[in-house]
Amino acid sequence: MDTAHFVIDKPERWDSSFDSDMTEADVNRLLEIRPFSEMNSGKFSKRTPLRGILKNDARIRRFKNGEIIVRAGDYGSSAFLVLAGNARVVLDPGLPVSLLGQRKSQHKSLFQIVAQLWTNPRDPEVRTPAELEQDTGVKVGGEFKGVFLQDVPRILDEHLTATMSPGDFFGEIAALSRSARTSTIFAVGDATEMLEIRWQGLRDLLRFDDHLRHHIDRIYRERTLATHLREIPIFRRLNDEQLKRVIEQTQFGTYGDYDWSGDYKRLVKEGTRSPEKETIIAQEGDYPNGVVLIRSGFARLSQKFGHGHRTLNYLSAGSQFGLREIAHNWAHKDTVPFQHSLRVIGYTHVIVVPAPVMEEIVLPTVPRDQLPEFFTPAELAGTEQSESQQKLDAGAKIGPELMEFLTENRYFNGTSTMVIDMERCTRCDDCVRACASANEGNPRFLRHGQTTGRIMVANSCMHCADPVCLIGCPTGAIHRGQTGGEVVVNQATCIGCSICSNNCPYEAIRMVEIREEDGAFMVDKDMKPIVKATKCDLCSDQLGGPACERSCPHGALKRMDMNNLDSFAKWLQR
Amino acid sequence: MSGFVRRRLLWGSLLLAATLAVISAYARWAGATTREAYLSGWVLFGLMVLLTGYNWFKKIPYLPMGRSEVWLQFHIYAGLFTGVLFLLHVRGRWPTGWFEIVLTVLYVLVMVSGVLGILISRGWPKRLSARGGEVPFERIPIVRRQLREQAEALALNSVAEARSATIAEFHARRLHAFFAGPQNFLSHVFEIRLPLNALLNELGDLNRFLNEQERKVTAQLVTLVRQKDGLDYQHALQLTLRLWLFIHIPVTYSLMLCALAHIVLVYGFSAGVR
Repeated sequence: MDTAHFVIDKPERWDSSFDSDMTEADVNRLLEIRPFSEMNSGKFSKRTPLRGILKNDARIRRFKNGEIIVRAGDYGSSAFLVLAGNARVVLDPGLPVSLLGQRKSQHKSLFQIVAQLWTNPRDPEVRTPAELEQDTGVKVGGEFKGVFLQDVPRILDEHLTATMSPGDFFGEIAALSRSARTSTIFAVGDATEMLEIRWQGLRDLLRFDDHLRHHIDRIYRERTLATHLREIPIFRRLNDEQLKRVIEQTQFGTYGDYDWSGDYKRLVKEGTRSPEKETIIAQEGDYPNGVVLIRSGFARLSQKFGHGHRTLNYLSAGSQFGLREIAHNWAHKDTVPFQHSLRVIGYTHVIVVPAPVMEEIVLPTVPRDQLPEFFTPAELAGTEQSESQQKLDAGAKIGPELMEFLTENRYFNGTSTMVIDMERCTRCDDCVRACASANEGNPRFLRHGQTTGRIMVANSCMHCADPVCLIGCPTGAIHRGQTGGEVVVNQATCIGCSICSNNCPYEAIRMVEIREEDGAFMVDKDMKPIVKATKCDLCSDQLGGPACERSCPHGALKRMDMNNLDSFAKWLQR
Repeated sequence: MSGFVRRRLLWGSLLLAATLAVISAYARWAGATTREAYLSGWVLFGLMVLLTGYNWFKKIPYLPMGRSEVWLQFHIYAGLFTGVLFLLHVRGRWPTGWFEIVLTVLYVLVMVSGVLGILISRGWPKRLSARGGEVPFERIPIVRRQLREQAEALALNSVAEARSATIAEFHARRLHAFFAGPQNFLSHVFEIRLPLNALLNELGDLNRFLNEQERKVTAQLVTLVRQKDGLDYQHALQLTLRLWLFIHIPVTYSLMLCALAHIVLVYGFSAGVR
């Protein structure tokens, strides 16, 4: 019997290039420019040659006078090299939000809140001209839908800036460590030309070229690492000389998949999520060769249990792993191996301070009473739990099933996750009605979502610690608010491209066709409907906080910071 | 002490203190004035207005007036306190006039519906979660239709495949009505499995007249029947959780209107009373 086979080509790395308009001539030109002219193309692998990286993972962009290239607070996934012209980086203090195309955080007045009784429109998704009006200091538009500063001379007069000239490289730290851009950089003059390299290309350039890697490592050590280490209590007592020595020997590591949200969505659809496949950063039972400091992303802390691993906690940016073991080994003659395993969840960027550096430089500066608790024979034998272990074991506080549920579904990312206690929820939908009332008749969440035991995590924006929705927004319309760090969408600058909605792994952003006040759909000049991204903004313009939480008569709904599992445990046992 | 116990103790103590205070005050008023019923009546009416206001509070969630959870606790305990006031107001006697009887019946209905509402609001969500397979209320008709269509398709296909109409006839006789709409409302409310077990027994008894192929179909029908029963359970409980308010609120407004009329009548016919 004949069987028909559906045959497709195996997907290749560069099936989708960054910019299909990149030509061989462009690549030849780039290869004559530093740092590419200094790179040894022989060091690159055959699958990812230097030419291929430049052709497929990079693009040449031309910016007009005043056009913002990167903006402080945005999450970007690419780095820039100045090819021609000039750009200016705005030094501290940065530009006000009104000049950056972001929404000003402001609460409604009491009268405006009461007036919602009669001003809420009858039709869904109505936008007033005032809501769509862009700030006077900014204009959205242009070839790449960019954001333009309107009065560049005045900005140059009133703000401290530094010039970036051809050959200067920027944006690489934010792209690789998945952190927010620290400064705003805009083009000066109409002849500014930039090479934009997406993170995949940047990663390969770093892998095969020592020169660029050393350059970026140096910048990272100089600009970021000292500040970061100074924020960690155990490193606070180091003098400048000691800190310099620590920084010199510190190693960096990037694990997992930068684009984990896309992969995660695919795995969810396929139903093949598997925590066992997570990359191991440090393994239980191994010799502790360094303290691991989580710089960005998340990692799962687990311990062997039967034939599997039990999740104790998940570690996020600012957490450390292995310090207790190394401190114990430094103070005692016996050697304690890692007591837990550390696995990547999605994407994790870590800093590793080697054990000899800790023992020789760092630990001697720490007073005895501020060292971590040492292991006792009983704890190592597994017959008792220390206070440190109890503190770490969030799984015991909220229950192992809930812990695994939160981890496998990546809910640890949420700083305001909507959790509903289904044993208290009467399904009255007061929360949904309250949300709609506070958002001009448009509910911004679904009282529906993944459930385990008595807990449901509703489909609502969680205002993630690692907001992947922010990556790639061409106008920066989706951004963090200035007051509570909530993720909000500026309706004036949102161009309806759906990148944020597609990036969100939790299906919490909805694209809607907007209407005028008379109920008619708004259309562009081609008569296509105007689409905007909408999501929960934690009622950031209302007084009193999220309406959903306040309106629940049975206290069944709570916005929880999933990085504070102690308060979650307390809420569960209320 | 858990937060739950602490909250109950706090509100319970407040209710007890208010009850004792009003009873002792009422005893003093009763000795000092003949118009104590006016005072208790006005306090009772004022509290009832406040309690009715909770429904309005829920309609304007954007006003920064605190959490609904706290207001509901106030609503519950203040509602119970109206019982004390009501008994004092009527001096513990059953009214004799027809209007007062209507007023009393309405009050009792509001109180009973409120107490029952709170009891089911506290208890039934646990039942819904424990049963599992929850479907949002708005989606229940859609899921029901899907189950009905699956059952119909199984019954119809069995005629052609097994060359026998036994299952189709059984479907027409027993299952068609079962899948057509919500069934056994009261059984689900009172957690009685009798109707489901009866239907499953009938399906089991049918097997003796079926061949191997048809028995596979009945096994699938049994699964669908169980799913539909679970859906009906969700429907019955979720509907009741919503419906009790449709009794409590209209009766409350009726009571308020009658109370207003009562006040007008009392003042209209109070000439000469001191």
